[in-house]
Amino acid sequence: MASVKLTNVKKVYDNSVVAVQEFNLDIADKEFIVFVGPSGCGKSTTLRMIAGLEDISGGTVEIDGVVVNDLQPKDRDIAMVFQNYALYPHMTVYDNIAFSLRIKKVPEDEVYQRVLKAAEILGITEYLLRKPRALSGGQRQRVAIGRAMVRDSKVFLMDEPLSNLDAKLRNQMRAEIILLRQKIDTTFIYVTHDQTEAMTLGDRIVIMKDGFIQQVGTPTEVFDMPANLFVAEFIGAPKMNTFKTDLCCEGGKYFVKPYGATIEVTGKKAAMLADKGVRSGEIILGVRPEHFKLTDENDPSAIACKITVNEMMGSELHLHALTENGEKLIVRIPTVSLDDDVRHSMVYGKTIYVTFEGKVMHFFDKETEKNLLV
Amino acid sequence: MSKKNQMPTLPPQAKRHLGIKAVNTISNVFIYILLVFITIIWLVPFVCIVLQSFNVEDTCMVGYVIPKDWGLDNYKALFAEGSPFLKWYLNTFIIALCTAVGQTVIQLCMSYTLSRFRFKMRKPLMKFMLILGMFPGMLGMIILYNVLADMGLTQANAVPGLILVNIASAGMGYYVSKGFFDTIPKSLDEAARIDGATRMQILYRVILPLAKPIVIYTVLSAFMGPWGDFVFARYISMNNINGMNVAVGLNSWLTADAIAYKYTQFCAGGVLVALPVTLLFLFLQKYYVEGVTGGAVKG
Repeated sequence: MASVKLTNVKKVYDNSVVAVQEFNLDIADKEFIVFVGPSGCGKSTTLRMIAGLEDISGGTVEIDGVVVNDLQPKDRDIAMVFQNYALYPHMTVYDNIAFSLRIKKVPEDEVYQRVLKAAEILGITEYLLRKPRALSGGQRQRVAIGRAMVRDSKVFLMDEPLSNLDAKLRNQMRAEIILLRQKIDTTFIYVTHDQTEAMTLGDRIVIMKDGFIQQVGTPTEVFDMPANLFVAEFIGAPKMNTFKTDLCCEGGKYFVKPYGATIEVTGKKAAMLADKGVRSGEIILGVRPEHFKLTDENDPSAIACKITVNEMMGSELHLHALTENGEKLIVRIPTVSLDDDVRHSMVYGKTIYVTFEGKVMHFFDKETEKNLLV
Repeated sequence: MSKKNQMPTLPPQAKRHLGIKAVNTISNVFIYILLVFITIIWLVPFVCIVLQSFNVEDTCMVGYVIPKDWGLDNYKALFAEGSPFLKWYLNTFIIALCTAVGQTVIQLCMSYTLSRFRFKMRKPLMKFMLILGMFPGMLGMIILYNVLADMGLTQANAVPGLILVNIASAGMGYYVSKGFFDTIPKSLDEAARIDGATRMQILYRVILPLAKPIVIYTVLSAFMGPWGDFVFARYISMNNINGMNVAVGLNSWLTADAIAYKYTQFCAGGVLVALPVTLLFLFLQKYYVEGVTGGAVKG
C-alpha cells in the first residue's frame, strides 16, 4: 500500500525516439489506476519505468514519498503481472508462486502458508503441483497473479494481463480482478489498450496518446466530458460520431445544424456554452451512437442516411449508415424499442431518419480539437 | 460371385499414387545401400583397432585382420608399472575436465551477457569476436608457445598451460548458446528481477534450467576439444613424457623402432580413449542434438 507520484517523467530511447513525456500523475494509496491508449502510446513504457525495468530519461518516480529512479526493481517493493504470464516453465505452480519468497529466504513453513493462502483466493489449489504448460490460459494468468500477490508489495502493476485470453475468459477474469482488488486492497496500476477494461476496472483512467497524457479522470468523467476529440473517440464502443457543423447562437439559444437538421442545445450543455461565452462558428460536433434515435422525415431535426451495414448484436442493433454527404455514421438502437417488422426492415440501402437530443452533444474546437466546455 | 469381382476398380489417381510409392521405395533402397556402404568404410578402421587391441601375437604387421590369439595383455601392459599411459590418461582427463568447467562457465556467462544486457560496443564486440574466431587457432601457436614458455608452463608443466590456453578463448564461442538464450523470453528475466533475484540468481535458477540442452552441448564440446587434442598438446609438451596428453603419448609409440612391439598397445590405448566419449554421447545424445539444432535454427 503506497502512493505513487510521477513528476515530469520522460522516456527517450537510444535511437532518440521519445516514448513518454511530461508525465505528471499522483496516484493515491489503494487507488486503482488504469493507463489506456492505442499501441505505441507509451503506457507500457511508463509502467515499466515505475517497475524499474526501463531507465527513466527525465523526471522522478516516487513510491511512498521515496524517489526510486535509481533503485533496482527488487528494491522498489512492487509486484508485476505480465501480458505473457512470464511463468517459469520448469517450475511447478507452487514453486513459481514461492520463488520470490525463497529468494528472500523466508522460512519454508511461512512460504507454504502464504502460497496456500494465495492459491485459495485464486482457486488454483488443485493445480499447485502442475507445471505451467499443463494449465489453460486463464489458470496461468491466475498463477501469475498469485506470484505477484504472495509478495504483499506496496504497488501492484499489471501489464495487459488479459490480452492473451479469449473474449469470454477475459470478461470472467475482469470480474475476478475486481473481486481480487477488494481482497488484496493495495495500489494498482493497470495497463490496457481495451477501453472496456479501463472503464470497468479503474477508479481513475489515464488516457494516453503519442507519449502524452490526454486526460485523467474517473470513468464517468472521461465518458461524459472527454477533454478532446481523441478521448471522445477512444472511450466508448462503438466510437463517438463526429462531424463538422455550424454552432449558431440566436437570442441566447444555441443550435447545431448537422446535414440540414436543426437541433437546439438544451440542458446543462446549453448553460455551459453560455457560461464559456462560446460564439457562433464551425465546430466539431460529437454524438455517441447510443444517443441517436429513429425519427421520421417530417421531424425538423431529422438526419437522413442510408444503411450500409446492420450488425445485430442481440440486445441492440449497430447500424452503420452514410449521410447524404457521404459521411459515416454509427447508430446504436436497442432492439427492445423496435417492432419486429421495423427491425427486419433495417437492410442495406434503406433510408432511415435519425436524430438526437440537445443535451447529449459534445463540442470540440475544429482547430485544437479540444472540448469547448472543459 | 467371386472375390475378384467384388474388388473395386482403383481410380486413375490411386494408380498414379502407387507409382510414386514404387519410385520412393526404389530410391530409398539405393540411398540405404549407399549409406550402408559409407558406414562400412567409416567403421573399418575402428573395428580393426578394437580387434588389434585384443591381439596378443608377437608380430605386429600381419596380413589378416582378425587376431589368431586373443587376450587382455595389451590392456594390462598399459597399466603395468612403469608404463606412462596412466599419467597421460590422467593428464588428458584433468585438461579436459578443467577446460570443460572453465569454458562452460565463461561461455555461458558471456552468452547471457550478450543476450540480455545492452551496452555500448556490444554489437561491434560480437562481430569482432566472430571474425577473430574465423582465423585458425594454429596461427597463434608460436606466440602462445613463447608466452607459455616465459610463464614456465611448457614441457613438464604443459597441463596447466594447455588448460589456460583452452579456457582463455572460451568467450569466443558465445554464439550458439547466445542464440539459444535469445529464444528464452526476456519477460522471465524481468519477472525474476521483480521477484527479487539478482542477475546471477536469474542465470542459474531460471535461464540455465531452461537451457539444459545448450549447457550439455557446451560442456560436451568443451570436453571433446582437449580430449582429442594433438597438434597443440604436442607442441606445448615438447616431447617431455610428463607433459604429454594421451594422444601425443600414444603417438610417441609409433616411431619406427617402437611400432613393432607397441602397436597393439597403441590400439588398446585408442580404445580406452574412445570409450568415455562414446558413453557420454550415448547418454547425452538427445540433449546434444537439441543443443546444436536449437541454437542454430532459432539463433
